[in-house]
Amino acid sequence: MTLGSSHRLAAIFRSRGGRGSSLDRGWVLALAAILVAEILYFSLTVQGFFAGGSGLLSLTEQFLDIGTLALGLSFVIFAGEIDLSVGAIASLTGIVMAELWKAGLEIWLAVAAAIAISALIGAVNGLIIALFRTNSLLVTLATQFIITSTATALGGGSPPFGFPQSLLSYAGTGTLGPVPAQLIVFAVLAVVVVVIVDRSRFGRALVLAGYNRDAARYTGIDVSRTVVGAFVLSGFFAGIAGIMISAFYNAARDDIGLSLLLPAVTVVVLGGVDIFGGRGRVAGVVVATFVLGFVTEGLLVGGHGSLTATMVTGIVLLLCLVLKLQIDRHEGVSLGAELRRRLGDLFPSSVARSER
Amino acid sequence: MPQPVQPRSRVRAHAPAAAVSGDRRGEVTGEAAARGFRYTATGIGKAFSGAPVLRDVSLILEPGEIHTLLGENGAGKSTLLKILAGVYQPDSGELVLGDERLPVLTPRTAQQRGIYLVPQEPTLMRHLSVVENLFLGILPRGRLPFSVGWREMRRAAAGYLERVGLNVEAETPAEALSIAQAQLLECARALAHRCDVLFFDEPTSPLTDHEADVLFETIRALREQRYTLAFISHRLDEVLEISDRITVLRDGALVATQERASADRAGMVRAMVGRELAAAQPRPRRMPTGPAVLRVTGLTLEPHFANVDLEVRSGEVVGLAGLVGSGRTEIAEAIFGVRKPTAGRVVLDGKQFDRRSPRACIDAGLVYLSEDRGRHGIFAEVDLARNVTSGILPRLPRRAGLLQIGAEHGLAAEAVRRTNVRAASLASRIKTLSGGNQQRALLARWLLADPKVAILDEPTRGVDIGAKAEIYEIVAGLAAAGLATIVISSEIEELTQLCDRVFVAYEGRIVGRLSGAEITAGRLGSLVVGAEVR
Amino acid sequence: MPLVPVTEPRVRLDGAPLRAAPLRRFLLRREILLVLAMVAVALASGLHESAFLTRSNLSFVAADAAATAVLAVGQTIVLLTRGIDLSVAPILGLSAVVVGFLGQNHNLPLGIGVVVSLAVGLGLGVGNGFLIAVTGLPPIISTLGTLSVYGGLQFVVCNAWSPHTVVNIPNSYVNFGNDNAFNGLAWLVVIAAAITAVVAVVLRHTRFGRSLYAIGDDAEAAYRAGIRVRLVLFCAYAACGLLAGFAGLIYLVHTGSADSTTGTDTSVNLISIAAALIGGTTLTGGKGGVVGSALGAVFLSLALTAMVFAGIDPIWEPAGVGALILLAVVSDRRRGGTGSGALTRSAGGAA
Repeated sequence: MTLGSSHRLAAIFRSRGGRGSSLDRGWVLALAAILVAEILYFSLTVQGFFAGGSGLLSLTEQFLDIGTLALGLSFVIFAGEIDLSVGAIASLTGIVMAELWKAGLEIWLAVAAAIAISALIGAVNGLIIALFRTNSLLVTLATQFIITSTATALGGGSPPFGFPQSLLSYAGTGTLGPVPAQLIVFAVLAVVVVVIVDRSRFGRALVLAGYNRDAARYTGIDVSRTVVGAFVLSGFFAGIAGIMISAFYNAARDDIGLSLLLPAVTVVVLGGVDIFGGRGRVAGVVVATFVLGFVTEGLLVGGHGSLTATMVTGIVLLLCLVLKLQIDRHEGVSLGAELRRRLGDLFPSSVARSER
Repeated sequence: MPQPVQPRSRVRAHAPAAAVSGDRRGEVTGEAAARGFRYTATGIGKAFSGAPVLRDVSLILEPGEIHTLLGENGAGKSTLLKILAGVYQPDSGELVLGDERLPVLTPRTAQQRGIYLVPQEPTLMRHLSVVENLFLGILPRGRLPFSVGWREMRRAAAGYLERVGLNVEAETPAEALSIAQAQLLECARALAHRCDVLFFDEPTSPLTDHEADVLFETIRALREQRYTLAFISHRLDEVLEISDRITVLRDGALVATQERASADRAGMVRAMVGRELAAAQPRPRRMPTGPAVLRVTGLTLEPHFANVDLEVRSGEVVGLAGLVGSGRTEIAEAIFGVRKPTAGRVVLDGKQFDRRSPRACIDAGLVYLSEDRGRHGIFAEVDLARNVTSGILPRLPRRAGLLQIGAEHGLAAEAVRRTNVRAASLASRIKTLSGGNQQRALLARWLLADPKVAILDEPTRGVDIGAKAEIYEIVAGLAAAGLATIVISSEIEELTQLCDRVFVAYEGRIVGRLSGAEITAGRLGSLVVGAEVR
Repeated sequence: MPLVPVTEPRVRLDGAPLRAAPLRRFLLRREILLVLAMVAVALASGLHESAFLTRSNLSFVAADAAATAVLAVGQTIVLLTRGIDLSVAPILGLSAVVVGFLGQNHNLPLGIGVVVSLAVGLGLGVGNGFLIAVTGLPPIISTLGTLSVYGGLQFVVCNAWSPHTVVNIPNSYVNFGNDNAFNGLAWLVVIAAAITAVVAVVLRHTRFGRSLYAIGDDAEAAYRAGIRVRLVLFCAYAACGLLAGFAGLIYLVHTGSADSTTGTDTSVNLISIAAALIGGTTLTGGKGGVVGSALGAVFLSLALTAMVFAGIDPIWEPAGVGALILLAVVSDRRRGGTGSGALTRSAGGAA
C-alpha cells in the first residue's frame, strides 16, 4: 500500500472539516447568525452602540478577557473536568505582575514571570485532581478561594497602577489601525487553541479522554498527564487574561476574579462544548465570545446595570443547556438521556448486551 | 391452585407487619409461604442488533420446584431469565403467570407482580443499612404521618433474615456484607416484597463451596414453601445436587428439559455442547515452532487469578477458554498493563517487560481488544476515522508537529478496508455502526499499531453471524502473516474453530492445556466447568 | 428452618476491614471527631490568647455559625442526592435583603419577616428544583446559572428600594439577633440547633429522608424500587432554598445589614459545602448527615475565629476555608467520598 493509493482511498471517504458532526457545525453557524442579528439589533435600537466599524471593534475590548479565559477553560471542559479557579488566577496574575514590576522588574519580564506562575498554579490544580483522583469541581472551588485571598493580600488594598506604555499599547488599549491590540492577541490565541485541539496529539488525547475516559486509557492515552496538561493550559490562558485586564484598566485588580467565572463558563457552554467532555468546536467558543460579549455590551450601553447583565448571562447559560438537552434528545445522544432515564422514562436497553 | 395475580399497590406497606405476627414464633407459617404460581413462557424469541439470542423457547416453571437452566455462554440462559423478570422485553412469545397473561414487563412491574431476579452482581444500596435495603421502596409507615416505622421494620427484618439464614445485625451497612451475604439479602428482599417467583442468575460463581451450601439451604427451604424457583448455573455438580428439573439451552434454543432423576453428567454435557459444527471449515491447525513471542510466567493477582503461565508463538492462535468470572479478562488486563499483578513475569520478544502500561505495550507491539466494547473500546460519539487512529497517536503522520489529517484519514481508510468495515463514511460516528462493524473497526485500530501479539477478548460478542465469519477470516489471515494471537472466548465452538492451542482457566487458575486434535468441544466443555478439577 | 451461620466473608463488597468494636466505631464517628477537633482548636487558641476562651467569644463564635449551620443543613439535603446547590449564596442574600428592606422601610413585624424569608427561599429553591428535577439539567451548571440569575435579582431588588442598602433594621430584629435564650446561649444558636434536630429527624425517620439517601446511592435502582425520584429531588432543592432563606434572616438579624452583594461576597457557597464535607457528607451522595454539617459549620467558625486571634489577616479567611476543604478532600480518599460526583455523566452510580 503506497501513500498515493491510500490518499486516493482517503479521498473517497474524506469529509472536510474533520472534527465533529453536522450538529456541531450547525450550532456554530447558528451562533454566527445570532451574532449578526444581535449586532444589527443593538445598532438600530441602542443609542451609542454603533460607532462605525472601528467602534464595534473597540467595543470588543470589553469582553476579550472573558474570551481568553473561555479559550483556556475549554481545554479543561473538553477533558470532561471543570476549572472554577480561572477567574481567580486571572486576578492573581495581574497583581503578581504589578508587584513584580513595582519591585523593579522590567515590565515584560514581570508579565512573563506572572504568566509562568499562573501556569504553575494550573499545574498544581491538575496534579491534585489527577493524583488524588478527586472531583475537579471541589478542588478548583477550594483553590479559587485560596488564590483570591492571595491576590487580595498581595494587592494590599491598593494594587499598583500606571504601567509603562509598551504594556498598554500591546496588551491594553493600544490599536493597530482600527483593530485593538487585544483583538489581535485574542485572534492569535484562538488560532493556537484550534491548532492544539484539532491538530496536536495532546489535543486529540484530550478530546478522546473527554469522550470516554476508560476507552482512552485502553488506547494507551496517559489520562493523568493529559488532564494535568489541560489545567496547565487553563491556568496559562487565565494568566494572559489577567494581564490583558490589568493592561486595559491600567491597574491590577484583585476584585474581579469571581465575576469573570460565570461569563467564561457561559461562553464555553454557549459555544457548544459539551459540559461532560469531548464534543464541541473551538470555533464555537470564539463566536460565542462575541455573541455574549455584544449582548452584554448592548445591555450596558443601553443603560442597564452590570448585574442585570450578569443575570442575563445566567439566563443564557440555562437556556443554552435546556436547548442542548432537547436537541441531543432528538438526536438520540445520551447527554440528557442519561439523566432523564434515571429520572423518568425507562425504556428497554436494546444495545447488544453480553450473554452470560 | 394458582390464584390470579392481585395488582400491587403501595398500601401493602402494611404487609410486612402482618407477616411479623406469624413469624414471631420463628417458625414457618402458612403466611410465610408463597402462593404457588406456575410461570409459563411460550415461544420466546429475542435478538440483539439483529443477532438472535433466543429462538422460540418455551418452558414451564412449577411452584415448589427448583428449575435449573443450563448451557454454555451465549446459549441464552441469562437473557431468558431476564425476559422472565422483565429486564428485557421479548421480541416474540408470551408469558403467563398463574392464570394471567402478562403484559410487557419492566423490572418494577415484574416485582409488583411478585417476580424477583437475584442478579449475578448484587445491586444493593451500599451506604444504607441491611434493613433499609430489605425494605427499599416499601418502607413501612410508623405511627406519625410521613414517618418510618423502624421498630416494625426491624422486627419484620429479623424474620426475613432468619428465613434466609443471614446472620447480621439489621443496622449493618450493606457495603459491609460479603458477596455471599449480599445474595442472601437479595433473597430476603424478594421475600419482604412478597414475591412468589424467584430467579437466581449464576449466584454461586462468586461464592465458596460453603457459602454456596448456605444459599442452597435457603433455596431448598423456599422450595418447601412453594416458591417458584429458577436458577442458572454452570457448575454441573451443583446443578445435579440441587435441581428438580433441568433445562438445557444451546444457541438460543431449548435442547432438553428433564427431571433430575433422569439426568446424568455426561448427558448434560452432551446436550450443552454437542452439535453439528456449522458449515464453516475450522481453520487448519498449525504447530509453529520457534520461540514464544509472548511468555507469561507465574502471573498472580488475587483474588482474580494466580500462577498463570502461558505462551504464544508467532503465527499461532492460542485460545483462553473459561467461564465468565474465571479471570481471563483480568489476566489479559494484567498483561496489557491496565492492572498491576502482584507477582509474575512477562517476556515479550525475549525481553523482560515489567513496567507495563497500555502505551508501553502498544508501542512494544502488544495490543488488547477489550471485552467491553462500549465502555473500554469505542468512543461512541466520535467519528470512525478518529476511533481507528486512536491507538497510535504517537505515530500519526505529522508535519512540523501538526497532525496531517489527510494522511491520517488515508491510514484509517486503509485499515478500514483491510478489515472490511462497512460505514457510510469515515466521518460517521462509530455508534451508528452495527456491532460487527464496530468490532471490525476496533480490529482496524489495533492493526494500525502493527502488533506482534494481539489479545482479543471476546472478539465476536454481540456480532452477527456474517461478521463473525469475517472476523474469523481476519484472525486467520493475521496469524498466517505472523501475528501471535490470544483469543479469549466463552464460545467453545469459536475456540475449536480458531485455535491451535487452548488454555483453559477455571476460577483464576489454568486447569488445562490442549493442543491440536485434543481441542474438542467435549473436552473444553468439561474443563471450563471445572469438571476435571479436584 | 435452622439458623445456618454464615462463614466469615471471603471478600467484603467494599474491600475494607470488618466492623470494629462498638466503642471504637462510636469514637471514630465523624461528629465525635469534629467535637474533639473543636476542643483541640479552642484549647490551643486559648493557650495562646486567653480571651479566646471567654464565654462571650465562644457564644459569638456559635452565633456566627448559626447562619452557616442552617445553610449547611440545606446543602446537605441536596448533597445527599449526589447533587449540589451553588445558588444558596444569593438565596441567602435575597432573603436578607427583602426582609431587611421590608423591616427598614416598612417596619415589618419580625414574625412576618420570618415568613417572608421562608417564602423567598422556598420560591427560589423551587426554581432550582424545577430546572433540575423537571427539566433534567445537571445540578452544578444549573445552580451556577441560577446563582447569577438570583444574584442579579438581588441587585435589582436593592435598586428598587432606597436607600440601596439595608442599614437600619428595627430594634425587634436586632434584639432577636443578639438576645440570649437562656444561660448565655443566643436565640440564634438555639434556633439553628432546633432546625438541625428537626431536619435530622426528617432524614432519619421519614420516607422522604430515606429516599434522599437511596437516590444518592443509586438513583436508577431507587427508581426501580418505586421511589419517586423526580419528586424527591424537587422537594430536596426546594427545602434547601427554604433553609437558605431562613439563613438569610439569621444573617440579617445577626449582622444588622444587607446589600446587593450579601452572600456572594462572603464565600457563603464554599463555606456551606465545606461545612458539609467536613461534617462527613460526601459529594458522591448517599452518605452523611446534618448534625455533622452543623458541627462542621461551628468548627469552621471556630477555626476562622482562631485564625483571627492568631493574628492572621481576615483576608485569608476564604483561603483557610479552601485549605480545609482540600484537607478534607485528600484525607477523605479512603472513604471514597470525593470522586467525580456531580460532574460525571452517569450520576447514578453503577447498577
